[in-house]
Amino acid sequence: MSKSEPRIGVYVCHCGLNIGAVVDVAAVAQYAQTLPGVVVSRESTYTCSDNGQRSIQEDIENHNLSRVVVASCSPRMHGDTFMKTCETAGLNPYLFEMVNIREQCSWVHTDKEQATEKAKDLVRMAVAKVRLLEPLEKQKSAVNKAALVIGGGVAGIFSALYLANAGIKTYVVEKKPSIGGHMAQLDKTFPTLDCSLCILSPRMADIGKHENIELITYADIENISGYAGNFQVTVKSNPRYVIKENCRLCGVCAEKCPISLPDEFNMGLKKRKAVYIPFPQAVPNYYLIDAGHCLHITKGGCMLCQKNCPNDAIDFEETEAVRELNVGAIIVATGFELYDATQKKEYGYGRYPNVITNMDFERWVSADGPTHGKVVRPSDGAPPQRIGFIQCVGSRDEKEGAVYCSRICCMATVKQATMLREKYPSAEIYVYYTDMRTPGKGFEEFYQRGREHGIVFIRGKPGEIEEDDNHNLLIVSEDTDSGLILRNTLDLVVLACGLRPPEALEELAQKLHLSRSPDGFIMEAHPKLRPAETSISGVFLTGCVQFPKDIPDTVAQSGGAAAMAAALLTKDEIELEPVRAAVDEELCIGCGLCEENCDYGAIEVKKTEEGMKAQVIEVACQGCGVCAASCPQKAVTVRHFTDGQLLAQVTAALEPEVIV
Amino acid sequence: MKYALFLGCTVPVRTMAYEISTRNVMKKLGISLADLEDFGCCGFPLESIDHTTYLSVAARNLAVAEAANLPVMTMCSACNGSLLKANLAMQDKNTRDEINANLKPINRQYKGTTVVKHAARVLYETMDTIKEMAHPLNLKVAAHYGCHYTKPSEIYADFEDPEVPYSLEELISAVGATPIPYENKKQCCGGSVMGIDESVSLEMVREKLSHIKKAGADAMVLVCPFCDVMYDINQKRIENQAGEQFGIPVLFLPQLIGLALGLTPDELGLKMNRVSVRNLLKTLGDGNEQK
Amino acid sequence: MKKKEIINMDELDPQFKYEIASQPGGEHILKCVQCATCSSGCPVASVSDRFNPRKIIRMAVLGLKDTVLREDFVWYCAACYTCSERCPQDVRIPDLMAAVRNIAVKEGCIHPAYKEQGRLIGELGRLYEVTEFENEKREKLGLPKVREKNEEIAEIYSCTGVGKVVL
Ligand SMILES: Cc1cc2nc3c(=O)[nH]c(=O)nc-3n(C[C@H](O)[C@H](O)[C@H](O)COP(=O)(O)OP(=O)(O)OC[C@H]3O[C@@H](n4cnc5c(N)ncnc54)[C@H](O)[C@@H]3O)c2cc1C
Ligand code: SF4
Ligand code: SF4
Ligand code: SF4
Ligand code: SF4
Ligand code: SF4
Ligand code: SF4
Repeated sequence: MSKSEPRIGVYVCHCGLNIGAVVDVAAVAQYAQTLPGVVVSRESTYTCSDNGQRSIQEDIENHNLSRVVVASCSPRMHGDTFMKTCETAGLNPYLFEMVNIREQCSWVHTDKEQATEKAKDLVRMAVAKVRLLEPLEKQKSAVNKAALVIGGGVAGIFSALYLANAGIKTYVVEKKPSIGGHMAQLDKTFPTLDCSLCILSPRMADIGKHENIELITYADIENISGYAGNFQVTVKSNPRYVIKENCRLCGVCAEKCPISLPDEFNMGLKKRKAVYIPFPQAVPNYYLIDAGHCLHITKGGCMLCQKNCPNDAIDFEETEAVRELNVGAIIVATGFELYDATQKKEYGYGRYPNVITNMDFERWVSADGPTHGKVVRPSDGAPPQRIGFIQCVGSRDEKEGAVYCSRICCMATVKQATMLREKYPSAEIYVYYTDMRTPGKGFEEFYQRGREHGIVFIRGKPGEIEEDDNHNLLIVSEDTDSGLILRNTLDLVVLACGLRPPEALEELAQKLHLSRSPDGFIMEAHPKLRPAETSISGVFLTGCVQFPKDIPDTVAQSGGAAAMAAALLTKDEIELEPVRAAVDEELCIGCGLCEENCDYGAIEVKKTEEGMKAQVIEVACQGCGVCAASCPQKAVTVRHFTDGQLLAQVTAALEPEVIV
Repeated sequence: MKYALFLGCTVPVRTMAYEISTRNVMKKLGISLADLEDFGCCGFPLESIDHTTYLSVAARNLAVAEAANLPVMTMCSACNGSLLKANLAMQDKNTRDEINANLKPINRQYKGTTVVKHAARVLYETMDTIKEMAHPLNLKVAAHYGCHYTKPSEIYADFEDPEVPYSLEELISAVGATPIPYENKKQCCGGSVMGIDESVSLEMVREKLSHIKKAGADAMVLVCPFCDVMYDINQKRIENQAGEQFGIPVLFLPQLIGLALGLTPDELGLKMNRVSVRNLLKTLGDGNEQK
Repeated sequence: MKKKEIINMDELDPQFKYEIASQPGGEHILKCVQCATCSSGCPVASVSDRFNPRKIIRMAVLGLKDTVLREDFVWYCAACYTCSERCPQDVRIPDLMAAVRNIAVKEGCIHPAYKEQGRLIGELGRLYEVTEFENEKREKLGLPKVREKNEEIAEIYSCTGVGKVVL
């Protein structure tokens, strides 16, 4: 290399005792001083503090440094901090290299001597690499000032309203025929017992009317490409076969329709027709035809609905509509799915009519439910006098693949038991639990009131439910508090089912390149500091798709996600990372392996004057390096991680003497 | 189809009726059985003493069958569970090497290929033939599954449901009898607590017999010699102790099926049943005459 | 009045739980959340106060090694697997009971009933003695003779050292 010898500054951090207690920081700094090109080497207690940063900046000026190495924590923590430190002092931020001697050294080792040697090795490797770094310039890209919210539950509704109220054009895409999600199915909400739809439906209506919101329901996300500030999203909406403007909600069509089906909104406890409206407050508020079951659509003929509609609202010609949306930010709010209680055969859900789930209960107790709000024994319609709840069904259950606690089911049970107590003051109510979890504002008080109302909480999970000839339910269980084995005959048992990631989440996560945590929910960018962001810039998270949570926490997170999205969308342009792939066209033979392997569609083989050559779509490239690894010609390199730079690092690791 | 018949320790000494009926029913169904004289204890009690010894003793039997190139048919549910559990453990290379080292001095090695099936499972898999050949039995029968015939489920991946077992009831229906539901159907017979605290096991047995009595069954059917000892051999004793009369005939599954296939009471060893089956046979006879 | 017994925790054995966890079958002991699914469905616990699988696990985790090994309650488990099918934490209770029994055997606390079974199996190769009497009876019934003795199991005993305990 003909360039003048680089002038390197090395800063080794104690991170208080985090590093200093295990690694001999002074020794590492002294060692760094001996490496070729290093002009200053210092230790500091907290390099990220103002003092620490100032010392780097002063050295850049006074010693005319051309490269900086910081050995401290993870680049995920402070990489940006130190790049800015360099930039402010006039050094190109890509001439900086960070060494992690905390997570990758002091936190995982106990032997001080060996840890210190390892830290030296890591610093030497970084020095070897930093010598070869090249200055890179950030590019700018214009921001498309619209947002997309995927999922129209309470999480999606609130984030869309926050954005729209801030003047941002927002699309809401909902898979089902109406927005509302699970909250729309709830009767009342803990701990205040507000009527769920009374507080939700005005907001649902706002979504339907808001000048900045475009609602697309009964629709699927087909494809997503692009990057922060500039996503292209293909949305396919399914035909409803009903003309919105004409439908007056008279219901004549449904009266005439011969096809009767389980009503999903009512957990199959009621029937609906093939032409139906999901629930009275649905948004958008008009009928639709269930194409999978309509006689006319599946077999031909019928058309009774069309013949009888007084408003000419039925249109069998309607076809699916595909749209392209251009947005700058995306909020994922696709919520949860209830655990399938038929999996727990010992509790007999699906076999015993008087065993129901907590979500079934919400519909039984609702005025729009199968009995207009009267909770009864499904087997004979009698009012239940002895009722049991079983907690943690499908949660905290390693065998069912959910080690986590679903967080809401304890409170949902206290709510439901309290409502039962109001309806049936003389009923006996038993809650079988493992631990009662009530951390939330007003939650413990609510639980306490439940106890004071005579609800009996039994610490011990039943092994099995048996049924007698009259569909009474028999539970034998240990009461661990008294050590007694109890035998209980009950009229009705409610299973407190846990919350699961929706099955279709896998597909959506793949389309968005989002990672999932081991529990199956979407992984946030940082569990504490960035709970509403994802690992993909420009894609945000809210509600139960991140992890089970109640409505107050969901709404709070929606505010956070909307604020983060708005912060991005109010910029005119954003900076793009320059760490991207670059193709050496002379070496490229146009084989297309890179294109095949790139997950982001960011590299394409195109015809050029020199023949077929790969070209990088800079804005889409994430710098992952898969193309470089797959190219047989070594024609692709990723800037800042070139073969030369990485090999220098590896060589320095293996052969301490040869560093130049 | 041919199986090596694994008798275990209890069957050939204490429940010969089970053995006779199994042999004769299998013969009638065209399933041949081989007797391998090297078979020994299945190892079940040893699991509580020393895990390695248990695995070695169980694997020894698996090796005997492997050398004869025959699948194993067990009659005792504990044997079945013990052999299958060991079989699963022996699929792991390290365990196999460790256990084979213990088998070396007796010149045996186990590669891990032996198939083990309970006789009742074999009958279940032959149910279509049984249905065709059966003369319907007009009886109400309570099925007792016991434990190791369906559990632990990890060794019965493709057979039975530990919470909602079905095979015995389907077989009862297949021979024209009516399966009778009763409380706490999956309750264990308590056989393995007998040597520790008799009163506990006998109370478990009493509970089950009274549930079956309450349900109005003509007989109970079971598939394990251990369970039979508890319900048939000990029934009188429990009646005396508890001052409660049960009089529930206890049939081995092959005895029930054999009756439907037209085998004679002698071919089914019915005389050896402790609780008399005379009335049962009479009911059946009367039923047939009426037809 | 019977004086209440207070357990001094510093006299317990905190290693006991790890000892169980290192035995085949005992691996999952520390996953137990004391939910009581096991004790709720246990057919033995439902008829006897001597036995409660959840409490045994609790005592083991607390380190009451002496009590767990010297009292006979771990021998009460019928190994019916009812609990094991349902335990949400996959604790595999009957296998764990077997693991504890294996430790008890090593500590010289084998239950006499099991010692006797172990002896018979070692000496005869089977749990019940077969004599000429049985074989004659079998022959009369048209059943094949069974071998009276199988020496191979004694050989296995000497490999694993169990002979010293039960023979
Ligand atoms: C029985 C029960 C009782 C409860 N009671 C209470 C209570 O009293 N108080 C309380 O605070 N909380 C309660 N909760 C919790 C509450 O339901 C949740 O906090 C809330 O529903 C979370 O909202 P969400 O928008 O994140 O998810 P969801 O309500 O699940 O909404 C997600 C939406 O996204 C849509 N969607 C899914 N996938 C896609 C896709 N691929 N594309 C487009 N759209 C998609 C869904 O159709 C749905 O409309 C209860 C929960 C249960 C199960
Ligand atoms: S009959 Fe026509 S107007 Fe009336 S609800 Fe049906 S589609 Fe709407
Ligand atoms: S055409 Fe379809 S939706 Fe209309 S009435 Fe017939 S079955 Fe119902
Ligand atoms: S919230 Fe309660 S019921 Fe739900 S998983 Fe957690 S502890 Fe179990
Ligand atoms: S580095 Fe290569 S493979 Fe990775 S996103 Fe960029 S072009 Fe695609
Ligand atoms: S069922 Fe499992 S987790 Fe629950 S108490 Fe028993 S062993 Fe522990
Ligand atoms: S395996 Fe043991 S502890 Fe578990 S239910 Fe059966 S007897 Fe009880």
